[in-house]
Amino acid sequence: MSLRLASIAGAIALWWLLSLAMPANLLPGPLVAAVTLAKDLAEGDVLPHLAITLLRVIGGLALAMAIGVPIGILMGINQRAEKVLDIWVMVGLTVPSLCYAIICFILIGLNEAATIVAIGLTAAPSIAINLWEGVKTIDFKLVEMARIFEAGRTRILARVLLPQVMPYVMASVRMGLGIVWKIAVLVELIGRPNGVGFKLFYWYQLADMAQVLAWTLLFTLVMLFIELGILKQLEHRLFGWRPRVGL
Amino acid sequence: MSEGKLKALPAISVVGLDKRFGDLSVLRELNLSIAGHEFVCILGPSGSGKSTLLNIIAGLETGYTGTVTLGTQRVGYLFQEPRLLPWLTAERNVDFALDGCKVPAERRRDLKDHYFALAGLADFRNYYPHQLSGGMRQRVALVRSLCVEPGILLMDEPFSGLDELTARRLRIDLLKIWLETKKTIVFVTHNAYEASYLADRVLVMAQGRIRDEIAVQVPRPRDYDDPAVFDVNRDVVRRFLAAADLSPERPAEGAVSTFAPKSVLHSSGGVQ
Repeated sequence: MSLRLASIAGAIALWWLLSLAMPANLLPGPLVAAVTLAKDLAEGDVLPHLAITLLRVIGGLALAMAIGVPIGILMGINQRAEKVLDIWVMVGLTVPSLCYAIICFILIGLNEAATIVAIGLTAAPSIAINLWEGVKTIDFKLVEMARIFEAGRTRILARVLLPQVMPYVMASVRMGLGIVWKIAVLVELIGRPNGVGFKLFYWYQLADMAQVLAWTLLFTLVMLFIELGILKQLEHRLFGWRPRVGL
Repeated sequence: MSEGKLKALPAISVVGLDKRFGDLSVLRELNLSIAGHEFVCILGPSGSGKSTLLNIIAGLETGYTGTVTLGTQRVGYLFQEPRLLPWLTAERNVDFALDGCKVPAERRRDLKDHYFALAGLADFRNYYPHQLSGGMRQRVALVRSLCVEPGILLMDEPFSGLDELTARRLRIDLLKIWLETKKTIVFVTHNAYEASYLADRVLVMAQGRIRDEIAVQVPRPRDYDDPAVFDVNRDVVRRFLAAADLSPERPAEGAVSTFAPKSVLHSSGGVQ
């Protein structure tokens, strides 16, 4: 923990040193960014944009899971499905998120549905791959064991198979979130009149680096809180039985 | 406790059993009769069909011809690996089996107390599998299979994955437990000494048939290092080699991956 704090302190110090070496309007220091953020927060302009972005993140993540989890599981348990789908998962992974965004805005329109579909489609392949690998590690010998002890289909599914897949679903949520929020701001930048991405683009056009850094800082802090404060704790509680929980 | 009802009928009766995997004949015209409370070891090299036979008796394997009749509803099964659910404690793992087999709630506590103590695990009920040693995990699996009160206990090389010292301790404890519970046990192994020490009767299996049968006359309770067991072992090994060398229909090389070349005899186990 102390190492982690030291690492954060070091990064802030580095930022500060760099800001000293560069013109103030090009790279404001951490203090300036923090003060700008505090001022924005006090003016009440921040939370509505943050809220709408978070909603898009959640919607996009839900869609990505809804697409990626079944595909990943199917590919893990069925060799034929694996052969048919693996090329498309690779293709899906290769297509830049900007392409998904542009195509969705043209086909669906400049609206929330298009935003969420674009986010979901971009993140789904990574989630599918994660689940695909996860399902391959399922120990089917445990199913045989459960059958010996007279467990029915539902019991085997709920108490033998699902617990083996859950850690991978959880890992997908964490990984998916990391991908989704990056896409969300990009999509907002090109096609939405609000949200963190829109604000970042707005300040970029005004070449206001203090504001750009303030919004970046805000978003990073919020995502770190969700990742470390919520998801990691949840994972710890759910999968505490595991010998070691990877980071 | 948990003394099964005495039965005049054999506990397991197998008549004319044939089993094929595709083109490969695994069991051929196999006949087998095992009495209640008998401890039978099936000794055979890898690929002799002994695990398949056990899986058919357990009901895990279907699609055979011939008849298999059991004198009991429920079988317990001890696999080569413990096959514990890693996210449950030792006791919850046993509960999982008790749930499935619908053992009434009022009997559970007695059963668990009794068998955990018998296996020397009274203080380890709340440990997760990864916190236990390999031998202890296999003990938990043994407790689990005993707690569902099976009439027949099937064991598929349960100690072959353990180091020799641990395996030895478990064999000694298994005999103690068997003397107390008098379950019918069918124990598959490729370790001749293990078979000689444990069994009432050693069946030698090769190429899908039972080739030979040796009654072990050493009185019980047995001492693990009793010279009499060594004498039986010598006899068993000799007859095992003779039976395994009868190979009129050797399976095609690489036909099925489990059909490895004839394994060497190991008194220490733990091959594969």
